[in-house]
Amino acid sequence: MDGRKLVSTVLYQLLRKKKSLRVFGEHRRFVVLTMLGLLPLITIGCQEQIPVALDDQAVPGVPVSVTVEIPWTSFGSNVEVFGGYGSAEEIGSGVLAEDFAGTLNARTLMRIGAYPRIATVRDTTGASRPDSTLTILGGRFVAFFDTIASTNTNPVRLALGATTEAWDMATTSWTYAVDTINDQRPWTEAGGGVVTPLGEAIWDPSLGDTAVFVLDSVQLAEWSDTTDLSIGARIDIIDPGHRLALNAALIRLDARPSSNPDTIIELTALTSGSTFIYSPFPEPPPDGVRIGGAPSWRTILDLQIPSVIDDVPELCAVVSCPHSLSPGEISYAALVLTSRTTELAFQPTDSIRLDVRPVLDRAVMPKSPLGVSLIANPFGRSVSPEAFGGSSGLEIEIPFTGYARDRLRGKDASGDPTPGTLALLSVIEPFSITFASFEGPSSAGEPFLRLIVTVGPPVELP
Amino acid sequence: MTRLWMTSARVAGFLLLALTSTATPAYTQSLFNAAGLGTPVDALDGRARALGSIGIGLTGGSMMQTDPGGLARLEISTGIMAASPSWIDYSASNSRSGTFKGNRFPLLGIAYPVLGGMAAIQISSVLDQTYEVTRIGETDLGDGPVRTSDAFTQDGSVSNVNLGFSRALTDWFATGLTVGRFAGNLDRTLVRAYGEEGVAGNVDTYVESGVWSWTGWSLTAGASADFESLRVAASVQVPSELSGTAAADTRGSDRSFSIPVQYRVGATAVLGPSIQVHGSAVFADWSKMQDDLSSGYAKSGSGYGMGIELSRARLLGKDAPLRFGFRQTGLPFAFEDESVKERILSGGLGLVLNETAGFVLAGVDLAIERGRRSSANLTENFWRATLSLQTSGF
Repeated sequence: MDGRKLVSTVLYQLLRKKKSLRVFGEHRRFVVLTMLGLLPLITIGCQEQIPVALDDQAVPGVPVSVTVEIPWTSFGSNVEVFGGYGSAEEIGSGVLAEDFAGTLNARTLMRIGAYPRIATVRDTTGASRPDSTLTILGGRFVAFFDTIASTNTNPVRLALGATTEAWDMATTSWTYAVDTINDQRPWTEAGGGVVTPLGEAIWDPSLGDTAVFVLDSVQLAEWSDTTDLSIGARIDIIDPGHRLALNAALIRLDARPSSNPDTIIELTALTSGSTFIYSPFPEPPPDGVRIGGAPSWRTILDLQIPSVIDDVPELCAVVSCPHSLSPGEISYAALVLTSRTTELAFQPTDSIRLDVRPVLDRAVMPKSPLGVSLIANPFGRSVSPEAFGGSSGLEIEIPFTGYARDRLRGKDASGDPTPGTLALLSVIEPFSITFASFEGPSSAGEPFLRLIVTVGPPVELP
Repeated sequence: MTRLWMTSARVAGFLLLALTSTATPAYTQSLFNAAGLGTPVDALDGRARALGSIGIGLTGGSMMQTDPGGLARLEISTGIMAASPSWIDYSASNSRSGTFKGNRFPLLGIAYPVLGGMAAIQISSVLDQTYEVTRIGETDLGDGPVRTSDAFTQDGSVSNVNLGFSRALTDWFATGLTVGRFAGNLDRTLVRAYGEEGVAGNVDTYVESGVWSWTGWSLTAGASADFESLRVAASVQVPSELSGTAAADTRGSDRSFSIPVQYRVGATAVLGPSIQVHGSAVFADWSKMQDDLSSGYAKSGSGYGMGIELSRARLLGKDAPLRFGFRQTGLPFAFEDESVKERILSGGLGLVLNETAGFVLAGVDLAIERGRRSSANLTENFWRATLSLQTSGF
């Protein structure tokens, strides 16, 4: 019993119950004072400190920790790559490419947002007031590029056009303007259809991140109708051999207010959405692991944690082999993937962030819901882009120790069965047109399971 | 007035009973807890502590399980509770030193007149087994050496729940018998952590633990005899094996330990109206347990103690007998193959809070001890206070 609690209970009862105090009659005050005087003695001593033994020999047994690498055939099976998760629209940025890596063509489509209809201007008397009668005289289409993610280092020529066919932001592709259920309409010309040319511009990454197209008032007037689904802007790259990452775009409008016709004011209209279309669409790899892209790719695999370990000398020196592995003996578990070179057209230019989630019902793939992430870092397992280019062949570990324990146990902490299928995917889907590639089963760098197993003799009585 | 006294006394009695029923097994602290089955804890009250007693042969009644014959001398219903905080500083041969402290309740008990004698229920401490230790090492996980930290914690104790009966067969001779049951648990847990301290890594901790419950029986028989100016008492405690039964999910095995028969003798001589001299001794050969141990060494746990009580002393107008004592006992378990002695100088006083017709209805006994436990590689110096509160007549 806690010492302070005991003493306080005694004192409380003594002080509360008058009858109890009468036990001590006229000595009541003396009893209480005595107890109070002794209270500090007990209280000071009540602070518990467990003695720390000085000799390591007081530790019973010495656990042994060994690293065990389990080959793919002993733990994995049924690798399958699924694509089509999300759409390029969800990324919110664009991609431009012209014969990049000899294959990739990509164009960005944008919807134009509503123009500002009112502006506060200074009239001829010098007073500022709202003016809703604005005359648009012209403007500029300004595109902002990601200088790091774009592959060019020299100036490139760009072309801006106005779309002329109705297209659907969420489902459009290189071939189709609209690709929804019961409504599949191909472009009259693959790659965004026929566009009305609006001009060209040059983007020189050494000078900045923007490219500017000059627009006349007629075109701007046509774009002001936001209900027309054929209205939009398409940006192409003219010079071949590059892939550009377009972050955003907007329109600078030159307008004349009626309250002060001698003045030109500049207004900004934003784009209401963007997507990109590209060709060719990559085929799923027959022998590898693919993660990422837009729409995104996921790789699904079945996994079984081996319940018996044998032929590990360090381990067998401590326990009898073959050793039946228990969940608590798994100190670390990770799926180790070996990176391989992604097709050049889709090679990452920024870090790829990998995630691993249990597949709750493999039978309904590709639509199975996924469980919570097995990676502690909410931003996933970061892999540098070089791993999929010049530095391919890197071993990338994806730790999932808790899952491995549950998988071996057959159930998680809540008592629910542990799914035996995992999905490898990007933390954010989709995140980029680029994707990560890893060696698949039956290749030199096939996935393997790395376990750190700690085994010790049972703790016995002294 | 008498009814009021009785009612109030019953309240106090029930309060003490409630405290007794909620108390956990008590134990004390020492670094020697890590040796063998731990450090023995004597279930003594403040008076016995102050007199350096083994717990037998003191004048008056006794609620201590070590003195069954003294139980009959209580004559009226009695409850007792002892608290024992201690402060320990240690130094080891490897230049390590430090301090720790703790508070324990080694004795809780209540006695009531039954069948012309006294029946008692006591919860007393037997062995304190709590300690922790950390071993730092290295292991190679494939990418070079990694620091490992093996933190071992042992938490538990052996206590004894006793049911005793004692009766005065004549005016000068009383005998008693106590049946005790060993109780308590021992939780031993080893946690291996990887990497530098305070740095979170990917490698999870490894935990290996086991929980054992202690069971066993003990039978203590004793007698005390009063001669003209002399009280003599003796007792023998015959225990069964102490069995540690592993919990269902414990990988470790069940074990049994042979607790030795313990003989105790004690005597108190009244040299004058205000002076009493006390001596007592215990004989127990724990070394027979050596074969049962997988670590540590079992030694003799015999010892003796002596003291003097000046019973005429007064404090704040109350009777406050002064006591002084010396005690030396052997620790039954040691790290090395050597005997470890515990030597204590003690002093204390008693305060009679209320006394009627020669019966002490409420009293407090306080003991302060300065002691040393010393082996070749480890020395512990400690201060220990023992405060026991005794109420009677409920």
